[in-house]
Amino acid sequence: MTLAAEETESVISPAGRQLRQGNKAPRPARRWMTLIRREPLAAACLAGIALLVLIALLAPALAPYDPNNNDVLNRLKGPSATFWLGTDELGRDLFSRLLYGARTAVETSFQSVGMALLIGVPLGLLIGYLGGWWDRVAMRVTDIAQSIPSLIFAFAVIAILGRGVNQTAIAVGIVFSIIMLRIARGLMLRERELLYVDAARVGGLSTPRILFREILPNVAGPLIVEAALLLGSAIMLITMLSFLGLGLEASTPDWGSMLDEARKYQVLHPFMALPPGLAIMAAVLLFNFTGDSLRDALMGRRRVAHRKLRQDRRARNAPKAKAPVQDADTVLTVQGLRVSYLSESGKPMEVLSDISLDLHRGETVGLVGESGSGKSTTGMAMVGLLPDTASSSGHVWLGDTDMLTAPAAEAAKRRGPEIAMVFQDPIGSLSPVHTVGQQLIEPMQHHLGLGKEEATRRVIELLEMVGIPNAAQRINDYPHQFSGGMAQRAMIAMALSCRPKMLVADEPTSALDVTVQAQVLKLLGRLSTEFDMAVLLVTHDLGVVSEACDRVVVMYAGEIVEVGKVADVLAKPRHPYTYALLKATPRNEAPAGRLPTIPGTVPPPWDFPRGCRFAPRCAFVKEACTIAPVALVDGVRCVRAGELSLEVGA
Amino acid sequence: MPRLIALRIAMSLLSLFLAASFAFSLVHLSPTDPAILALGDGASEAQRLKLTQELGLDRPILVQLATWFMRVLGGDLGQSIFAHKPVTSMIGDAIPVTLSLLIAASVIAVILGITIGIYAGLRSGSWVDRLVTSGVSASLAIPSFWLALLLAYFFAVKLRILPVAGYTTYAESPSRWVIGLLLPSFALSVHGAAVIARHMRGAVIDVLDSAFINAARARGTPMRVVISRYVFKNALVSVMPIIGIEVAVLLAISTVIEKVFVLPGLGTLMVNAVITSDFPLLQGTILVTATILITVNLMIDIVMGLLDSRIRPQ
Repeated sequence: MTLAAEETESVISPAGRQLRQGNKAPRPARRWMTLIRREPLAAACLAGIALLVLIALLAPALAPYDPNNNDVLNRLKGPSATFWLGTDELGRDLFSRLLYGARTAVETSFQSVGMALLIGVPLGLLIGYLGGWWDRVAMRVTDIAQSIPSLIFAFAVIAILGRGVNQTAIAVGIVFSIIMLRIARGLMLRERELLYVDAARVGGLSTPRILFREILPNVAGPLIVEAALLLGSAIMLITMLSFLGLGLEASTPDWGSMLDEARKYQVLHPFMALPPGLAIMAAVLLFNFTGDSLRDALMGRRRVAHRKLRQDRRARNAPKAKAPVQDADTVLTVQGLRVSYLSESGKPMEVLSDISLDLHRGETVGLVGESGSGKSTTGMAMVGLLPDTASSSGHVWLGDTDMLTAPAAEAAKRRGPEIAMVFQDPIGSLSPVHTVGQQLIEPMQHHLGLGKEEATRRVIELLEMVGIPNAAQRINDYPHQFSGGMAQRAMIAMALSCRPKMLVADEPTSALDVTVQAQVLKLLGRLSTEFDMAVLLVTHDLGVVSEACDRVVVMYAGEIVEVGKVADVLAKPRHPYTYALLKATPRNEAPAGRLPTIPGTVPPPWDFPRGCRFAPRCAFVKEACTIAPVALVDGVRCVRAGELSLEVGA
Repeated sequence: MPRLIALRIAMSLLSLFLAASFAFSLVHLSPTDPAILALGDGASEAQRLKLTQELGLDRPILVQLATWFMRVLGGDLGQSIFAHKPVTSMIGDAIPVTLSLLIAASVIAVILGITIGIYAGLRSGSWVDRLVTSGVSASLAIPSFWLALLLAYFFAVKLRILPVAGYTTYAESPSRWVIGLLLPSFALSVHGAAVIARHMRGAVIDVLDSAFINAARARGTPMRVVISRYVFKNALVSVMPIIGIEVAVLLAISTVIEKVFVLPGLGTLMVNAVITSDFPLLQGTILVTATILITVNLMIDIVMGLLDSRIRPQ
């Protein structure tokens, strides 16, 4: 049911959907207004443009003098009460010329961008829509034009058309049409793949209707952003052309030619250069900011991450805690770990609550849960690599080092020889522009102080051990030349190269083919015994846990809900969530009927229920479950743990 | 790698052919008869017919294109209508001026842009980063010719430590050649430095977010090595194409810079060619401009191939 409903939704275009949502649906105008209210900068910019246009329109009323009125007696005067910005070499009032210059700038830039919108956009949409040879030929033609810079292309057009206000606007308009054509085509190529376009085509709508009624509203946003940015470029290009004496006739007051005149008198009367230069800069800034802020408003503001790479404040602020007494077998102890982030509204949201856990030599512990349960964050906290935007409390003791509060350099020294990590995407975990070997030898160079040759020799040995053929040649390959399975073997080899006591494997097989998955798991199992290390295997797959792990930790919504030996937990789960997970795991002895799923999804961190976090999805929920947070007692976090008997199988 | 270079050279030759065809077509796109263009308005009908025959303008357009190409390949770009000199020799005098300006400005822009971009990208969100970001926005809005005027006024008129204008060839005096280029190349470089800094900053932020940086930190590689080895090279690879585009923009802007500092370069020739409708000169300068840019892009492509194995043909 839900699936069918989703499919019907996607054949309606995003813009169309907004219109269909009844009276709750904001009309485009209202939508813009709300966007602008949320984006004060965009609003200010639009107001600035309105002001500029107003000045342009009212120039004749605002200007105290005729811009072309010569007054040789008052030539090259500085600013005064009569001539606010002084006069030029013919005694013309610079303030009046500046206002009329705004008129010229607005007129020519709007003309050229308007031309680009009228010619470039329809052509670009059509070419993108038709595709094939149309597209290839049009792109080659525009390539030639684009290989010559805009200004020089405009030179050529002016050489052909001659000089003048209209010719300049047309020259710039032609250049911009080509730019707009390419942008509209790019947007169309992306849009063409969407279902609503197919639906319109199947529905028999005519091509112009599909282009302009169905698709254009959906790409209007990015096009408006481009148009705003082009207005800024237009002013820049046109003033450059008239500065060079190629643009407008001498009688047209314009900022570029005013600067050209100022150039001639830069020793005698340097002030002349200031007003037109500032005017150009202000106008260009205005249009650039408009484009940027509209883009932010349309695409959602890009959050700026606050990074602190150099200074490490964690160490200084944290009170000194003493490491707990660990027995010889314990490799890592997590004590009361809490991690929270600032939500976009500025409220802290806790993604991990009160995690405590021990890991011992030689054991493999599975950490399972759905996405959003916090299992990867737990893994990152163990290696001391929580993002700088996270705040945390509690401890992660690796020997007597607390990985949560240790200074960055100190924690980096532990990663490699004491704790290592393997990630879900092995190829993405390697820099694409460095050879695999260069990256694999790194831990041994930094932690064991080996030279390049010795480290390389050992890496080749390790690679052979994890089953990579031709290791000596393959280390000179780049990551993209590796298959996923081979890359993951290489990453495991690297993780083990400094003989760590503990390995965090974050979904190490999720991105691999099923056959390769089994091989990699087997390799991990073999190596954990051989190296006598603790392995934390983060996974969402209970099948992997049953195959590879000794103990299992089940997480839900940032909490541990159940801990125990794999054999016990899988045969006789004590938490309804573990039970539900098990029921939803396919087995080989395919039973008749549908595979049950857990209704609902993991709630987001700002929406965790007050009582048991699983209560809203639990089949065994009682009133007592929703009253207060539930504690982890004897390895299970459930109010009804004592009374429920949850058996799987049979 | 040799295959990549061969491939790119072939593509560059194709671009060059297309650019040359564009330059050739200029004369024929003009509504005015090329013979009139060459003779000026006051020419008589007899003169016009004579020149039409001389220039071969009555022959089919493809034949004209072919003969034009043969001439150009032989190093003959025709005769400037106004200067009455061979276009090749005029361009030959102008190229060293424009190339020294362009190369100096590009080098300054790349060094400044990359340094500032990395510095801000590593500290994104900090006050330094905000300062750099606003500085970049402001620099992109400053008209280069205005900046050049202000710099010339300040350093040459006020402080009198640098020459206002003019060009000294390297052969005349190497030191005056360098001093004369200081202001123009700095004024020209500002736009490039701003664009490169903006992209480099974005690239650094993106790279810092990628999985392989996390993985490098997870294997205990010290942060300074992570930055100098992985962040730098990956960010540089994504900024290389921008550098190519920006050199083209700087070449365009150099026309106004040449005017401010009275440098006898390609831009000056081109502007004069447009003003006087000197089509042979315009064709020649556009062809040379295209050749410079195609060569720059070829070099960028080769450097990209050296930096990033993914784009080498397998």
